[in-house]
Amino acid sequence: MTIPGWSPIALSRDIEAGSSAGTLLEGQEIVVWRDQAGTAHVWEDRCPHRGMKLSFGFVRGDHITCLYHGWAFEGSGRCTGIPAHPALDVPATICATTYAATEAAGMIWVFQPLGDPAGPPPDDATVTPVRSLVLDVPLEAALAALPEAFEGPLIREGQVALLDAGAVQLRIGLQALSATRSALHITALGAPGTGLLLDLLERAQWLRRLAGEEIPA
Amino acid sequence: MSAPVLSNYDLDDQCYRLRLTASVAGVALDLVNLDAFPGRDHLSRGYLAKNPLGRLPTLEHDGLVLCQPAAMQLYLAGLPGARALIPADPAEQARMHDWLIFADRDLAVASAARACALMDAPGDEVALRARSRALLRLLEDHMTRQGTLGQGYVAGATLSLADLALFVPFALSRDFGIDHDDFPALRLWARRVRRCEGFITMPGIPDYH
Repeated sequence: MTIPGWSPIALSRDIEAGSSAGTLLEGQEIVVWRDQAGTAHVWEDRCPHRGMKLSFGFVRGDHITCLYHGWAFEGSGRCTGIPAHPALDVPATICATTYAATEAAGMIWVFQPLGDPAGPPPDDATVTPVRSLVLDVPLEAALAALPEAFEGPLIREGQVALLDAGAVQLRIGLQALSATRSALHITALGAPGTGLLLDLLERAQWLRRLAGEEIPA
Repeated sequence: MSAPVLSNYDLDDQCYRLRLTASVAGVALDLVNLDAFPGRDHLSRGYLAKNPLGRLPTLEHDGLVLCQPAAMQLYLAGLPGARALIPADPAEQARMHDWLIFADRDLAVASAARACALMDAPGDEVALRARSRALLRLLEDHMTRQGTLGQGYVAGATLSLADLALFVPFALSRDFGIDHDDFPALRLWARRVRRCEGFITMPGIPDYH
């Protein structure tokens, strides 16, 4: 079930300049990458040449390059270099599929439905990233386990859960990876100390058990 | 003194762990290359005389014969002139051993999963993959905590043998069907390990990143 609007897909701090990562949004494969200048890009995770995942590729300067045949794509999605044809002036029609993306409140967001023009930006906030937690349960089950894990009431606003954990207010980005798996991008408002952050990490780990995942014994 | 001799098969994950450790430690190794798959050289009479379990690799040096990868790593790191890869602080050193044992006792399933996927080894590939993934999540949890403490590596703030041991199953996880997508803390950590002086790759680990 697609909720039109901005969906969080990663914590900003987890995608370093010059790196890429793959993820899923409701089963659709996407790549998020950050160029050396610091801008985050979110695209279909597919090289238009042979369909290789671009998330397996590597970032150099303002390009992401496919690991398979080295086709290089600039931030607009346009292919700017094909190593097998070094003299070729690459036609402007060769492009990766790009999606509207932005950063706010410590997270990288993509606009849904994928490929639609961006709407008004997501709410911003000053936060400390805690962690992204990937769970082998549907998003609804992850949401249901949150109040017990963090011992506080939860309000959902679109793809964000606001949770009052007593000592700290959590702002949690909600990502449905597929119908059966989910990711929580957990941030805390303000600048909590290390002790509080470690407590939040322990609670996030316990959330796996609450959500029904077994201990790997 | 002659260089330590490693019985090596380039595609074996534990052989790579030792080549990587030697390279990062700045210790020269003599490689004796075996054809483990499909040749099964590691089950030959000559090899079994050194390594009765028929496992790769074996490290030999001046009459010493070692069959366990963690012991080989510790030996190489203790040779004169080797780069410091064993923390001096007792707590950090203990933490390094804790995770070295995790690598061998627990994450051995990742080696089994890979051998099953790539080299026709017996085993339940689906179960081995599921267990490997659960254990990599545990490592992800640890490295998330380390990040919060401002420590970039497994045992502390500096690279140790534990990082080199654990880098291998994570970097090779795609060989047995586990993507890196779900492991943001391990991705950041693996990038740090890749940047260390003397880092080398093996087939299945891209040179570019």
